[in-house]
Amino acid sequence: MPDVDVSKLNRGLIAESWFVALEDYIIDLAWSPVAPKLAAVTVEGAVFLIDDLGDSAYFKQIGQHRGGANSLSWRRDGGEFATAGHDGLVKIWEGDSGQEICSIEAGGAWVAKTLYSPRRNVLATAAGKHLKLWNDKRIAFYSSSKHASTIADLAWNPIGPGIAAAAKNGVTLHLSDETAEPRKFHWKGSSLAVSWSPNAHYIVTGEQNATVHFVYVKSGEHAQIRGFSTKVFEVSWDASGRWLATGSGDTFLLCDCGHEGPAGRQPRPFQSHSNKLAQLAFQPDGELLASADADAFLFLWQPIKHDKVVGGVLLSSPASCVRWCDGDKLAVGQEDGRIVVFQIHTVSKGGK
Amino acid sequence: MSVANSTVPVTVLTGFLGSGKTTLLNRILSENHGKRIAVIENEFGEIGVDNDLVIATEEEIFEMNNGCICCNVRGDLIRILGNLMKRRDKFEHIMIETTGMADPGPVAQTFFMDDEMREAFSLDGVVTLVDAKHVALHIDDGEEVKEQIAFADVVLLNKTDLVSSDDLDRLEDRIQSMNAAARIHRTREAVVEMEHVINIGGFDLDRALEEDPNFTRRYRSEHPHDKAISSVGISTPGDLHPEKFHAWLQNLLENQGPDIFRMKGVLSFSGAEERYVFQGVHMLFDGRMDRPWRKGERANSLVFIGRNLDRIALNAGFNACLT
Repeated sequence: MPDVDVSKLNRGLIAESWFVALEDYIIDLAWSPVAPKLAAVTVEGAVFLIDDLGDSAYFKQIGQHRGGANSLSWRRDGGEFATAGHDGLVKIWEGDSGQEICSIEAGGAWVAKTLYSPRRNVLATAAGKHLKLWNDKRIAFYSSSKHASTIADLAWNPIGPGIAAAAKNGVTLHLSDETAEPRKFHWKGSSLAVSWSPNAHYIVTGEQNATVHFVYVKSGEHAQIRGFSTKVFEVSWDASGRWLATGSGDTFLLCDCGHEGPAGRQPRPFQSHSNKLAQLAFQPDGELLASADADAFLFLWQPIKHDKVVGGVLLSSPASCVRWCDGDKLAVGQEDGRIVVFQIHTVSKGGK
Repeated sequence: MSVANSTVPVTVLTGFLGSGKTTLLNRILSENHGKRIAVIENEFGEIGVDNDLVIATEEEIFEMNNGCICCNVRGDLIRILGNLMKRRDKFEHIMIETTGMADPGPVAQTFFMDDEMREAFSLDGVVTLVDAKHVALHIDDGEEVKEQIAFADVVLLNKTDLVSSDDLDRLEDRIQSMNAAARIHRTREAVVEMEHVINIGGFDLDRALEEDPNFTRRYRSEHPHDKAISSVGISTPGDLHPEKFHAWLQNLLENQGPDIFRMKGVLSFSGAEERYVFQGVHMLFDGRMDRPWRKGERANSLVFIGRNLDRIALNAGFNACLT
């Protein structure tokens, strides 16, 4: 059991709004950028569209990937979303009605990831060793040369051109242009997760060999944080880009990446979970951080100010994905197929 | 390296291109065993696999610790099995079909080195198919075929209808000299009893060396040894000094771990009423006290399978640990 009694935590901070039971492991979940809607995919490949009605929800299954699904992503205008399946397909769905618009073949037996650009109507797909970029007309205008290994994760530059693809032995930065040579940042290892800092100064990866890698994008130099207890599966930035949370084992670390970066600074450990962390997500416009563990505990922290948990609940099963919506709503997908949306009564916003 | 009962068993199928891996795989899938099996393939061959859960992957080996081949694991398997874990109540067995050129070491080590893999899965065994007709053409060209044989719990000597009985005997002798612990079955078109390839407990300490009356005879016999890969068996009465044995084994694995593919054994420790059973892959070692000795069976039986093994030195080192 964790060293926190959730029944005595600040109940005013987090309150359940509604839940739906989809009866299969929620493998990915995302809020529409413009409407109170969620899309969800299950491990068996079912695709759901859910309307958030405030204190209840309406959901419907809108389709299915044969074999299973891996990820989903909304286009920035909420007009459509894409799902990646084990069937080698990326399916595009109309954001409002849930109607299937089309399927595109991503070029592999298993599409690991699909991700819309936050700046343009461009969709990235990662299938096996291949990255493709697709325009509005569903034409692949960029196709990477073969990566050294299967692409594990993708992250778009949040403010400029380019998308980072993490695979074995480093990260490749593709500049979304057939004529531009990709930049390769090489090291020995195998990345599990990749993320840009909000100011695009750093690309950070969580690694299978229990390390975190920092790439200084401008110089191309990179540094490593060692000493994690297990593989590092989660990396999450706060909105200011100064603080990075990394999850490994039952502990997360908070790294101060301000000014000259994390070099020479001791990360702060946060340890109240008693089982391994499964999810870690900073509030997009505030200072709360949500963490969830394999014992089904969901904790809220204000890690920049406090060392202790400030809110929490015990879920009906472990969280498989945790997604913030504008800072005051938190959607949690679970292993038992439930999706729970919590209202978060934020203590303060924006104070860094 | 302990194996929990709630884990999903994994069988690794290896063998050179054309040896019959996919034929065997389809046989296993079509047998009426009542199990839902997920298949992970490293290459799509000419023969399709008849299953609704077939996942293709590309071999991706990486070092958990820089420079140590004993710590090499398969990143692609960790990723795919990590996904399958999420629906593990919906299938009961996993088959991994490797490429003809694959090194089984990183595949096996994946299930011991990675925490999540170790908790969710148990390596049931490595089954290696050997094309009896054509193996002679490539067995000496590289290390792949030899290493696949060396890692095997079970070797299926396939396509026996294409080879004379004398040639088969010679081939079986050679394979057994490389891997004395492997059980060899002669097959045509990969027809074999399922009990010989599924739930064989090759890495299960509870079943280490049990129910195999020929094991001792095999490794004590004087087979002509393969130049590079061989088995060294030790079978001797007497009790071991536990600390001396562990120190000797630790030193051996530190110095020769990369060359020792597999090892397993049953040991008699001084002062202990129970058997000590152990098994290992490269430098990964798992051992514990087992059931009490039965009347008349107390003795030490162990085997090392590896490259450039020094039979005399291994015997001398082991004997020095006897009380």
